[in-house]
Amino acid sequence: MYRWLDERLSLSRFNKKFLRKAFPVHHSFFLGEITMFAFITLVLTGIFLTFNYEPSSRLIKYMGRELPAAYASILYIDSLPFGAVLRSVHHWSANVMIAAAFLHMLRILISGAYKKPRELNWLLGLALLGLSVVTAFTGYSLPFDAFSVTATQIGYGIGASMPYIGEWVSQLIFGGEYPTLHSIPRVYSLHVLWFPLLLMALIGAHMLIMIKQKHTQPAYAEKVAPGKILGVPMMPQQGYMMGVLFLLYLAVVFFIGGSYIAHPVEAFGPPTASTPAVKPDWYFLWIYGILQIIPGDLKIPLPFGAAINSEFIGGVLVPGLLGIAAVLLPFLDTRKTKQRYLELPTRHPVRTSVTFALIAFLLTTSLAGWKQEFGFSNLQLWTIIIVGTLATYLTSYLIIVSYWGKAPKGEAGELEEA
Amino acid sequence: MSKKTDTTRRAIVGATVGVGLGLGAISMLVPIGALKPKKEVTPETEPPKKGDVFVFAEGDKKGDEISFADLPKEGPAVLAFPKDPKTGVIKNGERNNMVLLIRLDPGELSPETAEYAADGTVAYSAICTHLGCTVSEWLPDKGDLMCPCHKGIYDPRQGAKVVGGPPPRPLPALPLQVQDDKPVCAGGFTSPVGVVAGLEPQGGSCAV
Repeated sequence: MYRWLDERLSLSRFNKKFLRKAFPVHHSFFLGEITMFAFITLVLTGIFLTFNYEPSSRLIKYMGRELPAAYASILYIDSLPFGAVLRSVHHWSANVMIAAAFLHMLRILISGAYKKPRELNWLLGLALLGLSVVTAFTGYSLPFDAFSVTATQIGYGIGASMPYIGEWVSQLIFGGEYPTLHSIPRVYSLHVLWFPLLLMALIGAHMLIMIKQKHTQPAYAEKVAPGKILGVPMMPQQGYMMGVLFLLYLAVVFFIGGSYIAHPVEAFGPPTASTPAVKPDWYFLWIYGILQIIPGDLKIPLPFGAAINSEFIGGVLVPGLLGIAAVLLPFLDTRKTKQRYLELPTRHPVRTSVTFALIAFLLTTSLAGWKQEFGFSNLQLWTIIIVGTLATYLTSYLIIVSYWGKAPKGEAGELEEA
Repeated sequence: MSKKTDTTRRAIVGATVGVGLGLGAISMLVPIGALKPKKEVTPETEPPKKGDVFVFAEGDKKGDEISFADLPKEGPAVLAFPKDPKTGVIKNGERNNMVLLIRLDPGELSPETAEYAADGTVAYSAICTHLGCTVSEWLPDKGDLMCPCHKGIYDPRQGAKVVGGPPPRPLPALPLQVQDDKPVCAGGFTSPVGVVAGLEPQGGSCAV
């Protein structure tokens, strides 16, 4: 059988090229795989949800109540056997996917793996992270309850605050001034069709480039076998580990989804005229925090009557600048030779400290999202954010330099020939 | 064939393909432009205009007309939709029509606010100018309005100017007048409703 197929499809060539690909042995290398497992889980649970979901906000009669069809269909999904569990697993997998993708990116960042020749895959990875967040956000409005409509309205407002093009972009994505009858069908098609297709294509390109370029080697590989690729082959060893990890992932996410129903649609209720107090998922909390403490009278006029205002700064400009910095990173922090070995974070005190400072910034701005609950003032929060970020940078820089010393030029992963 | 005619032929073919692609791309602007749906104005989505009465937007009395006696003294604000008294159509097809009605002590109103008020009652757009949530919370100790989304606070006694939080501009006011013990709309909103990418407009766009 194998021979019959091999003679037609030359499986041995495929086997040699792809299935024998060496995977470096280090636990941090599983972060990318967890991201992919979460995506697969999202697609599979998403298929179940699309079979039972009605993408429309028209009012229908459901169980004696007049409700938007989308909201009613979520109540129906929750009434199905395992329906609420699968919906929760979908929700939690989205959270895991974004978290794992972000941690995967941090691993690449502190180990210098974004450098030549992997700039392209760094950019693709950033696009994947951004697209994952956007795709998650387009799923926010689908339950069409009071909470999700409010959260999506905030997203609409952030988009609309962009000077000149804002209103057009927001209306394009949300089918007019959200919520209109066009909104749910449009956001639905983005969430279940166009963005997932784009994600699949980008993930495919990300994988192919990774297989072509090979993983960066952990630093010890340089001492053990300089110039050689160390690792276990894709099949069978890495494949078994991946299989076990995937089952473990499913077990954990089903345990969480089964014991804690995410987004209780029945409790939030159908959309109301007044707005409930909303707090976004943790991956938007930092933007939510910045939006709360940015001065409202901040306004930079632009020609032709437009302006840069506080919503744009908090919702678009700050995340956008971080994104641009990440895009430029491999072109500013360059090297002439090809990067083969991971750089030790302790050998690059500035980069590592900046990474820690970035985490401190995200945590302190997320803290600002709890402004009301903790009773902080804007001044206190700005102090915490600025001092916290700078202090994290300085302390981690000082600790690294005093413990491990500065990396002399030409050392640490720059030994190999061009 | 000489080399010269060959290059000319190539140039012509290239130019033809280029013009074709360019025109094709330009023609795609029409369907792409249509992705922003046209706004249809129906009686339900029309903006408030002079003479409109108000109805409750939520609660047990949803849809009932509001008279001054229905409004609690010194707040809290009541969430309302305008209603055309002639046709009886409630204009709740458009979120941006949502209005906050607040009955205050006439002596406390700033001169500018008093101009729009009727019998101490003021009306503001309920849509937060920050990111478009409904300004649906009432802070009883100061008598201020608060948006629950990013905690923007407005003072209804001073033209709903921003007294806390991130909103960039005051809530648009809706001029009122008294008619048969009811607050009645005396004109359109004094400024654009909701999130605006541009600067704060100087004059009012009063649709009378």
